[in-house]
Amino acid sequence: MLSERECERYKRQILLFGDEAQERLKKAHIFIAGAGGLGSPVATYLAVAGVGTITIVDMDTVDLSNLNRQILHSDRDIGKKKTVSALEKLREYNADITVNAIDATITAGNVRELVGTADGIVDALDNYPVRYLLNRVALEKKIPFFHGAIRGFYGQATTIIPDKTACLECVFPKAPPSEVFPVLGATAGVIGSVQANEVVKYLTGKGTLLAGRLFTWDGTCAAAEEIVIEKNPACPACGKTPAKDHQSGKKR
Amino acid sequence: MSVKIRFFARFRELLGTDIMTEPQAGTSLALLVAEIARKNRDGYEAIFDERGSFREFVILMRNGKRIETADAGTTLVADGDEIAVFPPVAGG
Repeated sequence: MLSERECERYKRQILLFGDEAQERLKKAHIFIAGAGGLGSPVATYLAVAGVGTITIVDMDTVDLSNLNRQILHSDRDIGKKKTVSALEKLREYNADITVNAIDATITAGNVRELVGTADGIVDALDNYPVRYLLNRVALEKKIPFFHGAIRGFYGQATTIIPDKTACLECVFPKAPPSEVFPVLGATAGVIGSVQANEVVKYLTGKGTLLAGRLFTWDGTCAAAEEIVIEKNPACPACGKTPAKDHQSGKKR
Repeated sequence: MSVKIRFFARFRELLGTDIMTEPQAGTSLALLVAEIARKNRDGYEAIFDERGSFREFVILMRNGKRIETADAGTTLVADGDEIAVFPPVAGG
């Protein structure tokens, strides 16, 4: 049941999808992997939308060079753990929800426990090895995996629904080489907002998900396009004879 | 025949996009992409390795269907094809 305060707080979106959908948001638990460029807008918009429980995981410390895009953190947070400043900001935005901020490195050993009974996983990571781990856990737990990635003015997002859509390894079976990638905060804002929008649609049952479609954003000419993506029957993660477990992402 | 090539993300930065080409009959997908990519050295090197093979992470699609890069040398393009070439974007 929504309190009077909640009805007022979420009034403008209850107009959009009704009380029942707002209650579904309140009962939901979303796992956000990363409190950086993408994690910042995703966590912020999910918190203010009233997603009842948000678990956000990161192992980094706030650095001055993060602040062009990581809007959960500011000058006063430099040197703090990102989970500390993320928790502070999200509580300031919405004290009516529960935020679990976990300072941890996501590994093959702890990923299942970290995700726990979450209703969905948001990919706000900066590398493919850990994305592959979370993709596999989402498939195992049969929960959606909201993928997003950015570089420079470019970004991409898709919503992976286990058993229904292509998974991350169907589309991107090989990780690109790691690099210190150039990026604009606004690019993270565009893609993070698309991911948060997907989560809200999934939880409320409204709209049409980015399922089986890769959304691509080219900020240099402000063009959004999409690429149809299909399941790979031989996919090592979700194909007919998937590997039983995922080896350490470091080997990729 | 007329074939359109769409590059995405970093490949687009280096090579542009929505490139209309008029390949001769019998042109393979690999040859067509290589010909276009050669217009910019950095663009070519982003997509192909020093032996001229597609880098392992490159994604190729023809009319929305994935083509394994290993098969691109034997997959012939046809009139009206739309080819998408993209890297996995990785940052977050």
